[in-house]
Amino acid sequence: MSIELEEIAEFLKQHHPFDLLPDDVIESLPKRLTARYFRAGTKVLSPEQQCLHLYIIRTGGTETRDPNGQLLARLSEGECFGVRAMFRKGRAANNITTLEDSLCYLLPEKDFHDLAGKYPQFNYFFAQMGGDRLRRGMQMIESRDDDQLKLMSVKVADLIARDLVSIDRSATILDAGKLMCDERVSCLLITQNGDEIAGIITDRDLRNRVIAQARSFDEPVTAIMTDKPISIHPDDYAFDALLTMTRNNIRHLPVLKDGKAVGMITTNNLLARQSLSAVYMAGKISKLNDPADMAKVIAQVPELLSHLIEAGATSQNAGHIVTTLSDAATVRLLQLAEEKLGPPPVPYVWMAGGSQGRQEQTAISDQDNCLILDDAYVEEAHGAYFKALAEFVCDGLNDVGYVFCPGDMMAKTTEWRQPAKVWQNYFNKWIEQPEPKALMLCSVWFDLRPIHGTKSLFDDLHRIIVSRAKDNRIFQAYLVGNAMTHHVPLGFFKNFVMIRGGEHDSTLDLKHNGVVPIVDLARIHALANGVDEVNTFDRLRAVKAFPSISTQGASDLLDAFEFISITRLKHQVRQIRQGHAPDNFLHPESLSAFERTHLKDAFSVIKNLQSALETAFGKSGT
Amino acid sequence: MGLRQKITDSQFYRDLVQRRATGALRTYYDVPAADPTRPIMDTEFIALDLETTGLDPKRDEIVSLGWVIIRQLGVDFSSCEHILVRPTKELTESSVVVHRIFDSDVANAPNIKAALELLLPQMAGRVLISHHAPIELGFLGHACKRCFGAPLQIPTVDTLVLGLRDLHRQGQPFKSGALKLDNLRRSHNLPPFRPHNALSDAIAASGLFLAQVSKRDPKGVLELRRVLR
Repeated sequence: MSIELEEIAEFLKQHHPFDLLPDDVIESLPKRLTARYFRAGTKVLSPEQQCLHLYIIRTGGTETRDPNGQLLARLSEGECFGVRAMFRKGRAANNITTLEDSLCYLLPEKDFHDLAGKYPQFNYFFAQMGGDRLRRGMQMIESRDDDQLKLMSVKVADLIARDLVSIDRSATILDAGKLMCDERVSCLLITQNGDEIAGIITDRDLRNRVIAQARSFDEPVTAIMTDKPISIHPDDYAFDALLTMTRNNIRHLPVLKDGKAVGMITTNNLLARQSLSAVYMAGKISKLNDPADMAKVIAQVPELLSHLIEAGATSQNAGHIVTTLSDAATVRLLQLAEEKLGPPPVPYVWMAGGSQGRQEQTAISDQDNCLILDDAYVEEAHGAYFKALAEFVCDGLNDVGYVFCPGDMMAKTTEWRQPAKVWQNYFNKWIEQPEPKALMLCSVWFDLRPIHGTKSLFDDLHRIIVSRAKDNRIFQAYLVGNAMTHHVPLGFFKNFVMIRGGEHDSTLDLKHNGVVPIVDLARIHALANGVDEVNTFDRLRAVKAFPSISTQGASDLLDAFEFISITRLKHQVRQIRQGHAPDNFLHPESLSAFERTHLKDAFSVIKNLQSALETAFGKSGT
Repeated sequence: MGLRQKITDSQFYRDLVQRRATGALRTYYDVPAADPTRPIMDTEFIALDLETTGLDPKRDEIVSLGWVIIRQLGVDFSSCEHILVRPTKELTESSVVVHRIFDSDVANAPNIKAALELLLPQMAGRVLISHHAPIELGFLGHACKRCFGAPLQIPTVDTLVLGLRDLHRQGQPFKSGALKLDNLRRSHNLPPFRPHNALSDAIAASGLFLAQVSKRDPKGVLELRRVLR
């Protein structure tokens, strides 16, 4: 073989799965290839188009979208596309577009199948891709065996393994025992009026409440059942199911949809294999009594985060999991405060704002929280209790590792510890008579999520926020003006504009110039359209349906948010691995050329949608 | 385009030289030249590079040839060829330093006539691609005259000329070396290549050509004459 073809062989050897082929086979490959060049933005394949080659990217990058335009994958040097076509008789399945000028090597279909037939390892790689890997796309956690992530990506509904075993409440204990024996189940749902749920009995109940108490088997099963068991919704994540079970120390969890039982999940469904650190960390926190001990658990968050990211978590997964831990610490501190101070004199709800409210926390987070009290609250009579409660929890969170909010947006500040009616006045004022500066400060309060207490206290307030903000154009215009203060670090020629001088010389601030602008955009579109979600991903998905933003714009923004967030998390993980404190300041040189291009694209998406926002909502006078 | 080149590219000239051609060149001329009004997509190309003992086609000789065929704007690696040519004179030290081909390497190689007999059938009906084509055309033309009694006429794309046109169109001053094969390739995001021999350069030029065409012709409808030199 001549030297130049050897270079192609060398290239193939460096890339999976070609590296799995014997040397003499790789060396025979270049002669069968054709090179083709596509400039950036070329649609190389579209669904059902004839595709008689496997495309191997030599330089450049491509994007795979399904026929509906959903982004499935981004590919770069050494990766292959046209794989599905190989398994569909030469008909392409997806849209492939080049993102950069790209040189591709084309391997004929026949040669592909010859290789796949002869070398199982080669076939396995592509069979997986053709089968479902691409279909499940970016959110798919590629062939990574991390249980934690499976729990994050799997819905409860997917875990229901078998038909529900249940018995009517008129049955006796003996009937129930026999049925459990026949069906080989460890628990049984007790129903009434058809599939309405009445209670649950488990193996443990038969032991503790029947045998140990020498109870007659002829007694009705209702005598030993647990009434109104804790349940979960089929759309919840498996992760939440496990969390619920750990917190409540139960091993069986009925799945209820619209009050009807649709299945049952057990710890065995979830905990088949290894330990699930986040769940155990949350479980551990809920049993600790001292903030100093909790701090030790929370100190492992960076470690947890780096595991998650290395295992291929999306930033939404990671944010959800990390936030779960601060929620757990908050709830535990509130329980301890109530133990210490006695039960609350009037109902309250503890609210998280900012990144905790949105479930988007990272390795570094401060606290944003507030207290909404029942309107029966009287300052003279109850003020001291809630002041003590808020101080206990805020100070505790600070000790645990969630440092005080520099803007004092915390329940320990009197202003943010008020009865519901005062909060309603606050929001009325912010929405009806907006002031730019005040708005900037209080944007964290538009991302509220109840953490603990009487959650219905928030409901009325929430309704007011959602309905008022939706109708007020002036308020929206002020929000837009605020959002425009966060500039994207892109210059006129699409070059990065970096921070100059100081501690963070030549870096990009991924938080303030990347994440925050998208969070702002999502918040505005959500508020303007009466969407009540607070998580940025959820908000963007929800606003797709509204005219204030194009569907494509919302999709692009979702992609941009995921890319910038994950880049930021990877950056933080890298710092943690190197023993540095994590921050948001990224040196663009630490990225590959491909990542840099994507980052620029993500920034231009923000820039475009910021301009579109001004058009849609008008420019404020700020 | 100069008048002289206009003449040598004309059908009239082709008819004239064709009558004088013998052997493999005659067979070459029997196949009609590529039609300049056909789309590039439907045209076949041969990217060619050669190494010589010097730069003067009248005095110096070809020592190696490398080529690859392009069909439907795809470089077909199965068509790669690299052949050494035995020169009539001994190799000089200065030329050996450049191409690292020694007398011992070419002792059993075909002479230029035999080499052209392999190459000419590959060129028939196709368009030549070369980076700085005057060298290739000059040496092949002289060799054809010596071996087959007539000069060589072939429609030609010069990737250097296309690169120059691109730079002119951008209207920016360009650095020295900007037109070198490797630098032009880099400007189109093509992988770096290590120049080894005539074939590696031919392959490098073929990739550059694909890139240059795709910039001009995203829809695949451009006529051949738009890229001829």
